[in-house]
Amino acid sequence: MDSMGSLKIPTMGWHVLTALILIGLVWGLAAVTNRINYQWTWYRLPEYFVFQSEEVRFAPGDGKVESLERLGDQVRLILVLDNGARESLTISHASLELDEGERVRAGDPLGAESIMRQGLLVKGMVTTLHLSLLSGLLAMAIGLLGGLARISKNPTLYALSTGYIEVVRGTPLLVQLFIFYFFIGTVLELSRYTAGLLALAIFSGAYVAEIIRAGIQSIHRGQMEAARSLGMNYFQAMAYIILPQAVKRVLPALAGQFISLIKDSSLVSVIAITDLAKAGREIITNTFATFEIWFTVAALYFVLTFSLSLLTKTLERRMTAGD
Amino acid sequence: MIEVRDLNKTFTLRGEKIHAVDGVSCTVSAGEVVVVIGPSGSGKSTFLRCLNRLEDFESGQVIVDGHNLSHEKTNLNRVRAEVGMVFQSFNLFPHKSVLQNLTLAQVKVRKRSRRDAHEKALMLLKKVGISEKAGAYPDQLSGGQQQRVAIARALAMDPKVMLFDEPTSALDPEMVGEVLDVMRTLAQEGMTMVIVSHEMGFAREVADRMLMMDAGRILEEGPPNQFFSNPEHERTQAFLAQIL
Repeated sequence: MDSMGSLKIPTMGWHVLTALILIGLVWGLAAVTNRINYQWTWYRLPEYFVFQSEEVRFAPGDGKVESLERLGDQVRLILVLDNGARESLTISHASLELDEGERVRAGDPLGAESIMRQGLLVKGMVTTLHLSLLSGLLAMAIGLLGGLARISKNPTLYALSTGYIEVVRGTPLLVQLFIFYFFIGTVLELSRYTAGLLALAIFSGAYVAEIIRAGIQSIHRGQMEAARSLGMNYFQAMAYIILPQAVKRVLPALAGQFISLIKDSSLVSVIAITDLAKAGREIITNTFATFEIWFTVAALYFVLTFSLSLLTKTLERRMTAGD
Repeated sequence: MIEVRDLNKTFTLRGEKIHAVDGVSCTVSAGEVVVVIGPSGSGKSTFLRCLNRLEDFESGQVIVDGHNLSHEKTNLNRVRAEVGMVFQSFNLFPHKSVLQNLTLAQVKVRKRSRRDAHEKALMLLKKVGISEKAGAYPDQLSGGQQQRVAIARALAMDPKVMLFDEPTSALDPEMVGEVLDVMRTLAQEGMTMVIVSHEMGFAREVADRMLMMDAGRILEEGPPNQFFSNPEHERTQAFLAQIL
């Protein structure tokens, strides 16, 4: 008991110190922003996640209001059209301009329906997630082929893959995006989304290829020899023996690469894809809440990258448990 | 079963050209057990690895069970399936269980059903005396157990020839016996075997023929009795004197 108590106090002390440092940082930040007289408008943010949209509904055809049923501040309206079809709508009571039994004609406004819509930040985050996921999958495929080509004895495969990796790693992603959007996108008539997706995949694929190559080369050559001596061909040996071990070994590096990909995807905002970063910029032009938005955007990127980080940790643990 | 004609293999090591196998010719008939000995660097392992073309060679012919390995059109994978190989460092697949180590190539190469492969694997594990380890992973086994699994893995393909590349050199002394026992049984069952080994007692007992290699050449060959008691070459005498 005694020894546990004496151990606990210093640990607690360190935690208190950590908390004090963090509080100090926040306090310092607040003090500095106070000096420049910045108006914090955090209350404007929630509507950019989800918002209530009042959308006016119109009668789809001539008919009659059969019934109105009050549900709090909403009303369920049942419309029977002259052709016998029944329409059911829920609209806000305040916007209701009809009585039971009243006739309506096609195109008449019935009232406003209140709908929950995704705000720009959520839309941007979904775009970023979608873009990262697709380009990540594509990058993995490119990386596997590229990694295999890099260790190939075939001079053409080796030269092409090495050239690809050197060029992609030696030029800025921003420039690659412009080339993909303005040149390749124009020549092949790609949408801006496809152009951005391909640029990210090809950029990330080069790094994945090097990771995969390093992984394959880290596996003892006796593994390949044993597989071949059993009559497996090169691709069977790769697929069943070498790659499973190699990928497992480079999983942390691959995870790092995909986390980078999520962050790098913010660059597609320069070709006007409304990802999370572009959404942030658009909101700022409306609200001038520059500080709040960039903090929030950073936090949302962190949510994505940290989830991926946790996911790979679980995966790693499960793969080691299989040994 | 195996016919080797004028086999040549060179490689470059740190800028120096080494003639690892220098014009070797020999034959191994079906059911014969040949033990290859020689000082380290004499090319005996390289020679063995040429027999299933795990090692490419410059010139010469290697004919295994009628298939000429030096021909362009020979399907090497098919020949290799008929030639089992056991390595010094076991080379079990660490991400697969013992059972999966034995069934994988049966299913993927021999195209056997999972069930047949499974049955065969269990039978062989029993034969090498480790059926209780079927579900274990290689790194949970001792060296001797791993090498016995490796032998079983090679046998699962029903090979016509078995090649052993110093199968006991990486083992702790007390585990050598269990591996040699398995090999002895195999020899008694009439398996054609080419063994690179330093286990002279075992060679004397099991071999039909001894091959002494030095500097990439076969220096001397003969039945073990004559080979051990009355070696012709001085080099062989010196080598045997060192290790016996």
